[in-house]
Amino acid sequence: MKTPVEVTVNKKKYKVEVDTRMILADMLREELRLTGTHIGCGTGNCGACTVVLNGETVKSCCIIAADANGQEITTIEGLSSSATELHPIQQAFVENQGLQCGYCTPGMVLSTLQLLKDNPNPTEDEIRHGISGNLCRCTGYQFIVQSIQDAAKRLSNGGQPGASQ
Amino acid sequence: MISEEFEFRAPTKLAEALSLLERYGDDAKILAGGMSLVPMMTLGLVRPKTVISFNHITDLNFVIDAKDVIRIGAMTRHDTVAHHDLIKKHLPLLATAAVGIGDVQVRHRGTIGGSLAHADPAADYPPVMLVAGAQFRIQSAKGDRMVKAAEFFTGLMQTAVGAGEVLSEIHVPKLPAGAGSAYLRLHRVEGSFPIVNAAAVIEKGFKSARVAIGGVGESAVMIDVTKHLSKGVSDQSLRAISDAAYDASGDAYGDLNGDTEYRRAMARVYAQRVIKAAAAQIR
Amino acid sequence: MKYIGKEIVGLPTRQLVAGKGQYVSDVILDGMLHMAIVRSPYAHARIKSIDTKPAEAVPGVVYVITGKEVIENMRPIMEAYDTAAMDAKSVKCYALCPERVRYVGEAVAAVVAEDKYTARLAADLVEVDYEELPVVFDAEEAMKPGAPLVEPDWDSNVMVTRDFIRGDLDKAFAEADGTFSGTINTQRYTGAAIEPRGYVATYDPYQDMLTMWASTQNPHPMRVFLAETLGIPETSIRVIQPHVGGGFGLKIPTFQEEPLIAYLARKLARPIKWIEERQENLLVGGHARQNRLHYDVAYKKDGSVIGFRAKVIADVGAPAALCGWGQSFVTSYCIPTCYKIPNCRVQLFTVVTNKCPWNAYRGYGKEAASFLMDRVMDGVAKATGVDRAEVRLKNFIQPEEFPYSQVSGAMIDSGNYPKALNRVLEMVGYKDFPKLQADARKQGRCIGLGIGQELTPEGCSMPKSTLLSGYDGCTVRVNPSGQVTVLTGVTSPGSGNETGIAQIVADTLGVDVKLIRVIQGDTDTCPYGLGNYSSRSIIMGGAAAQVAGTDIREKMFKVAAKMLEVAPADIDSEDGKIYVKGAPSRYVLFKDVASTVYRDCYGKFASDVEPGLEATRYFRHPNVYHQPEVDGRFSSYPSWPNGVSACVVEVDPETGIVKLLRYCAVHDAGVLINPLLAQANLHGGIIQGLGGAMFENLVYDEAGQLKTASFLDYTIPTAVDCPSLEVEHQETRSPFNPLGCKGVGESGVTAPLGAICSAVENALGHLKLNFDEMPLTPDRVWQEIRHAQQQA
Repeated sequence: MKTPVEVTVNKKKYKVEVDTRMILADMLREELRLTGTHIGCGTGNCGACTVVLNGETVKSCCIIAADANGQEITTIEGLSSSATELHPIQQAFVENQGLQCGYCTPGMVLSTLQLLKDNPNPTEDEIRHGISGNLCRCTGYQFIVQSIQDAAKRLSNGGQPGASQ
Repeated sequence: MISEEFEFRAPTKLAEALSLLERYGDDAKILAGGMSLVPMMTLGLVRPKTVISFNHITDLNFVIDAKDVIRIGAMTRHDTVAHHDLIKKHLPLLATAAVGIGDVQVRHRGTIGGSLAHADPAADYPPVMLVAGAQFRIQSAKGDRMVKAAEFFTGLMQTAVGAGEVLSEIHVPKLPAGAGSAYLRLHRVEGSFPIVNAAAVIEKGFKSARVAIGGVGESAVMIDVTKHLSKGVSDQSLRAISDAAYDASGDAYGDLNGDTEYRRAMARVYAQRVIKAAAAQIR
Repeated sequence: MKYIGKEIVGLPTRQLVAGKGQYVSDVILDGMLHMAIVRSPYAHARIKSIDTKPAEAVPGVVYVITGKEVIENMRPIMEAYDTAAMDAKSVKCYALCPERVRYVGEAVAAVVAEDKYTARLAADLVEVDYEELPVVFDAEEAMKPGAPLVEPDWDSNVMVTRDFIRGDLDKAFAEADGTFSGTINTQRYTGAAIEPRGYVATYDPYQDMLTMWASTQNPHPMRVFLAETLGIPETSIRVIQPHVGGGFGLKIPTFQEEPLIAYLARKLARPIKWIEERQENLLVGGHARQNRLHYDVAYKKDGSVIGFRAKVIADVGAPAALCGWGQSFVTSYCIPTCYKIPNCRVQLFTVVTNKCPWNAYRGYGKEAASFLMDRVMDGVAKATGVDRAEVRLKNFIQPEEFPYSQVSGAMIDSGNYPKALNRVLEMVGYKDFPKLQADARKQGRCIGLGIGQELTPEGCSMPKSTLLSGYDGCTVRVNPSGQVTVLTGVTSPGSGNETGIAQIVADTLGVDVKLIRVIQGDTDTCPYGLGNYSSRSIIMGGAAAQVAGTDIREKMFKVAAKMLEVAPADIDSEDGKIYVKGAPSRYVLFKDVASTVYRDCYGKFASDVEPGLEATRYFRHPNVYHQPEVDGRFSSYPSWPNGVSACVVEVDPETGIVKLLRYCAVHDAGVLINPLLAQANLHGGIIQGLGGAMFENLVYDEAGQLKTASFLDYTIPTAVDCPSLEVEHQETRSPFNPLGCKGVGESGVTAPLGAICSAVENALGHLKLNFDEMPLTPDRVWQEIRHAQQQA
């Protein structure tokens, strides 16, 4: 069964017809070809499919695509304007090796965006809680936590690397 | 992936939703946050013919101060429950319970109504609803009724909500002035469902005291422990509460996270701990 | 500028962090079909009949295939690990089971449809009539006479045995001051990479070319396996490995879906995609680890172990073409790990059961050996009253005793175990811990400290193996403008070896690492190589890159020497300059030498070297030996990194909750090419070890159904469940590897098992707990505590 969906993704309006069985993650990936949103579990546990829906992070594998009708979404592709200009959070992940295989990374980055919006200066414990909905199997989370600490400094410093620790 | 075809409806008004519910009856599943329903559809455990989303009905998302009670719309997201000033002030244990659900993303999307209607035996909210004496507004195209928490949870993932009906609001009485309350959960990894959880409310001067425990039966169990606490918290009173919790958890199930014996033992531990924590909050 | 030893961020990170990685699920082709698998709901059953009609009737279904077509058109799946060479029993496994299923989830049919929903829906409509057969789920039950046979053609469920003996066991046990025995159980668990498996296959009939994008660790071996299984030329297959979202061994071929999708793409001549769902991944994506280890220890009062017997009983699930069962051999091969035990016997029984087959998982059996020895050393400490660390120090192979031949014939290359242990004890504050512990106890807190030792042999090389061998290849190509293309036979499923290899080539040639582009994972462009497993990518692929780079360097030095009018022996290169040693101002630019070779091959500088600047070279590791017929020696692991961890836990004795407060590790992988990425790998390994020690468990019910088939029930640690890790490195060069490297990919995953068990026991020392089973979930710890209290 097909149903029409109108969404704004990364500030761009899209109008598509989707199968009602399609989850939001698949709509972004297969219909809009924004493949930076990944699927790792389908049950809302791993967070690789994290996107920003109306200003709040959600797991797009647990949202029926049709239910996103009329909503506003930001995906990882919406964060940086070009290959040379990464978002300060992304830059912090790069410089702190906050990833290995990269599969969980888009979700991790978007959870960081949410965390630092809610709490610009989080403690390590708050960081760990802020990304507890994003599973990573490669890094042991340590360099991710460091990346987020660095990202917090960058964001409070106009996107530039923070003063040395 | 969801393989079974279904019809998707997204009404924007409650009345419209109720008439859809009446029309589709048992064939329809109500989609709230979807944090349980969508994974269950993905795993093929639920195969509804029609899904009626409540996500576009904006007037079910509210937290209102209504004199003695806080009225919470069923579509209020966990994140709002966790951080709303009214709830933090009048029902701190409810805010605590909401903060522990899943993770940030789950709390952004999951709803209090969806969680309550799903009625998982170890869900975070039910013990809180029981000790706080909440009432549930259940609406249909034909009627509108209030059900007490104690009568709302009718069995394993079963509630008083019938075919064609929906849980629309939760009315939670504000804690009496000076009362102490607490909520605790035991889990395996961060964000996973509680193995056992417990909530307690103790009125100032120990005039009344209730504890409820989840994960030890088909639905959470409540125990009135007023009599044990008539002289305040002591080793003796805690022992009595622990025994009462053990007795109340005779229907505890066993699963991957603990057998019956473990759950009953945890009923003892968490009943005592939650009472101690609640007593410490009495002002 | 030297790059080896420098912390350089991984080369693909910018692309990946931008969400611009290209994983197999991102491959979307025009006209692409989707495959769904029909899996057995039974643990053991005969397929009586299959009715595909209900599926075929679904609009959008293109094709339905069963085992019948498979056996008529395909060979059995080629074995990833040659059973004959290891004296192991074998079975013929097909891309779809033709007549009998041996575990829940085994593939029996497949549906190809225009969209994935239709494929899945129709797959559920395929009607398979089964006749249930007797089942066996426990390895020791399976070993008993009369047990149901997983393979009716076998005489027993034992697939392979080994018996390694050194010294006089009876004498040792007779002369001991004391003896004790025990059994430990390691649970079944798996790597669960966040990206599940997936393949996209497409076929061009005009070129007779099958192209397969695969989330795999081993493109070249996969091509061999596909060619053999499909009976088509290797040259008609191209395997491309896009970005891989974590492998950890589980993405090593040979799974049923690989030849199946390849066959279907050829047959239908249309692109087909199959992306595994998480529940399939946990059900059939390869399991590992499930062992029962019986042991007897003979010790002296001073803590030295003089006799040791171990019986390894590995429950490898149903036999398959996958290489997982080989892990059991490695467990037996490694015992008694870091310790010198004069009288020792290790027996192996690799047993098949009606559960998911093992596939390789980070640790590859080494973790069970090290965990066993940790339990033994702690047991000796308890029995003798000698300190746990002291017992280990007393029994270690000493630094001057390498290379050391272990009971199995394994040749341990090098190490300094006492130094590493002493350092980790310093880091964790071992000496002062008892006071800390007593103070905590006064506040009602139970904290404990544990030690875990690990020995992880790497660079696995087995005789007659397509997959597991101790060599790899690399092409180094200096382009006319002086930039460098490096093509490798090894691959990186996120582990970062491409960066390390770029560093090695940069140093070998003396150029900026930014000039180097590394290409991996394409059988049409890269030299033949075995891909990624056993921490081999740097020790084999890095060494091959150095060898190939050295060829080019020598050639360029010859030309440069002429240009500089000195002998080649008198020049060196750095920072893009080739200069006269001792007179660095006399130089030619690296790029000008390259240009000269390409553009002036008849000129006076380059006329006596062959045109072109490209070398493909292979590296064979010297510490492998496969000629037991010559002198009885057999050594399959050339490289022996090791490490030791010490952790501090807090235990809540009322609930059984264990909280990891600190985790310190000292690790020795020889020379580190890129300490940042080595550290990153270690962090990941340690946390996977923590997952196994505390959270992860693949649980079957009595009917052989997996009860943990989603991340709701298969719980892997979140950031909150993990502590901040304190990791240090120690460098004991490999005497055999030209780079001095030992490999770091599997490091860290082992020590947490022993360390955490030891720490929990230590936290509740008064109860004399003994953990012989994992994971240490709250209920298990609570049960153990209650059991001990009842005993007391």
